[in-house]
Amino acid sequence: MNAIIDPRSVQADSAPAVGGLAIRHVHKGFDIDGRKLSVLEDVSLTIAPGQFVSIVGASGCGKSTLLRLIAGLERQDSGDILLNEVPVAGPGLDRGLIFQDHRLFPWLTVEQNVLLALSNSDEAATDKRARVASLLTLVGLDGFAQAFPHQLSGGMAQRAAIARALAPQPQVLLLDEPLGALDALTRLRLQSELQRIWLAQRSTMIMVTHDVDEALFLGDVIVVMQPGRIARILHVPSTHPRDRADPALAPLKAEILSLLHAG
Amino acid sequence: MRSTLQQRLLPLLVPGLILATWFAVTSGDDFTAQVLVPPAAVLDSFNELLASGELADHLRASLSRLLLGFGIGSGLGLGFGILLARSALVNAFAGPFFQAVRQVPSIAFLPMLILLLGVDEGFKLAIVAKAAFFPVALATHDAVKGISKGWLEVAAIYRLSPLRVLFRLILPATVPPVLTGLRLGLTRAWIVLVAAELMAAENGIGQMMEMGRQMFRIDTVMVGVALTGLIGFALDQGVRLAERRLVRWKAV
Ligand SMILES: Nc1ncnc2c1ncn2[C@@H]1O[C@H](COP(=O)(O)OP(=O)(O)OP(=O)(O)O)[C@@H](O)[C@H]1O
Ligand SMILES: [Mg+2]
Repeated sequence: MNAIIDPRSVQADSAPAVGGLAIRHVHKGFDIDGRKLSVLEDVSLTIAPGQFVSIVGASGCGKSTLLRLIAGLERQDSGDILLNEVPVAGPGLDRGLIFQDHRLFPWLTVEQNVLLALSNSDEAATDKRARVASLLTLVGLDGFAQAFPHQLSGGMAQRAAIARALAPQPQVLLLDEPLGALDALTRLRLQSELQRIWLAQRSTMIMVTHDVDEALFLGDVIVVMQPGRIARILHVPSTHPRDRADPALAPLKAEILSLLHAG
Repeated sequence: MRSTLQQRLLPLLVPGLILATWFAVTSGDDFTAQVLVPPAAVLDSFNELLASGELADHLRASLSRLLLGFGIGSGLGLGFGILLARSALVNAFAGPFFQAVRQVPSIAFLPMLILLLGVDEGFKLAIVAKAAFFPVALATHDAVKGISKGWLEVAAIYRLSPLRVLFRLILPATVPPVLTGLRLGLTRAWIVLVAAELMAAENGIGQMMEMGRQMFRIDTVMVGVALTGLIGFALDQGVRLAERRLVRWKAV
């Protein structure tokens, strides 16, 4: 376990905290057939370094768009997105994104896929490979380094994608329904793994999910979205690691569900 | 072990049966040797053509035409396929025309090309290039279109350099389908070349067959038929081998 924990994240308590996000009055629309479709309207959100934020909301309400803006894959029409008080301009290794589909390159082995994320690191090749090996251990893919993606199950591929996203040690990890395509049992296991990884890395994580229980199990903060806007921001009082049956979660769940139904 | 031996022998079953029937039929008196030559005569003819060096000359002529015509056609096909996939303008201009011309069999262009380019090398190269061009252009177009936006986003997220994007994403994503197009193009080019040589040529496998026909040397014609088939088969298998080598990562 110790080999896995990144030394940088261990220092996080003493070093100045990084990975804080400020989203201020962000607007975003898309042109569809020449008409402007407004997707995000005046979205503001502040996320503290090391926080785990869950975003829930109905399909099409703009969750992925918000993550893609933070990742730098899209550009907002107006408003500011600041990472450590610096405006985000395009993708960067300080932010990682895990897509709903794993998006591994099918022609590369699991190890090569993860190594690719370290392309810009000037570490020695042997150090990189050692780090990839420990990441694969972290996500429970020991022994699958040389496997091709088509030889993995859906859950294993998604874990490989998580390892790839963790490799550059992003300050902020964005997760877009990372467990959405998995069966209930694998999903529960990976939720616990995600929690373990987050506790080990202590980087900021922002996860979109349709599963309210998942949002509550992992999140310090739950952002409930309704089409184009943030309806409510809820703080979860319970600490980590968290008990799924924690009675403090029940009223929050009821509140989130009623907000989702209203939206 | 046994099943691999069976697998190896199975493809030989049909040719073996045909050969046996051929032997049986020609050893009777039902057909004169002029109409259906016995296998032995074909083998003799093959040895003769080989010994005189005539066959080598024909093969050299045909294969160098194939190489040159295929090189031109597939090269243009690669370039055009990329343009067609990447440029909306080129697609708007040339897309429908490309799709329409593609439907016309290459051989249908032969009379026109002979009128335009004469009976020399030009028309043969043109028809071979045309036959190679379309499958390669189509495969390239589809391959480039098939590079998913999702993968490009992954490349952007991890800030891959343009060179890495080329070697880790673009080429691995496009080479296998383009190879399939090249294989189709190569075998079609070969078929069309032999047909063109049958119509008008100084030399080449097709011309050898045409001369054999005119001189009632069916044995020579059959040597040509067999060689055309074998060469086409070898070209196809050769590229398939390259495909398998390069696409080990795919679930087969
Ligand atoms: N590139 C794009 N071009 C045009 N419209 C887009 C684009 N991306 C997103 N949209 C539109 O923006 C809206 C929000 O999309 P988004 O993907 O952010 O929703 P979401 O909340 O993630 O939904 P889901 O839960 O189904 O993933 C949708 O109406 C979608 O059609
Ligand atoms: Mg989405």
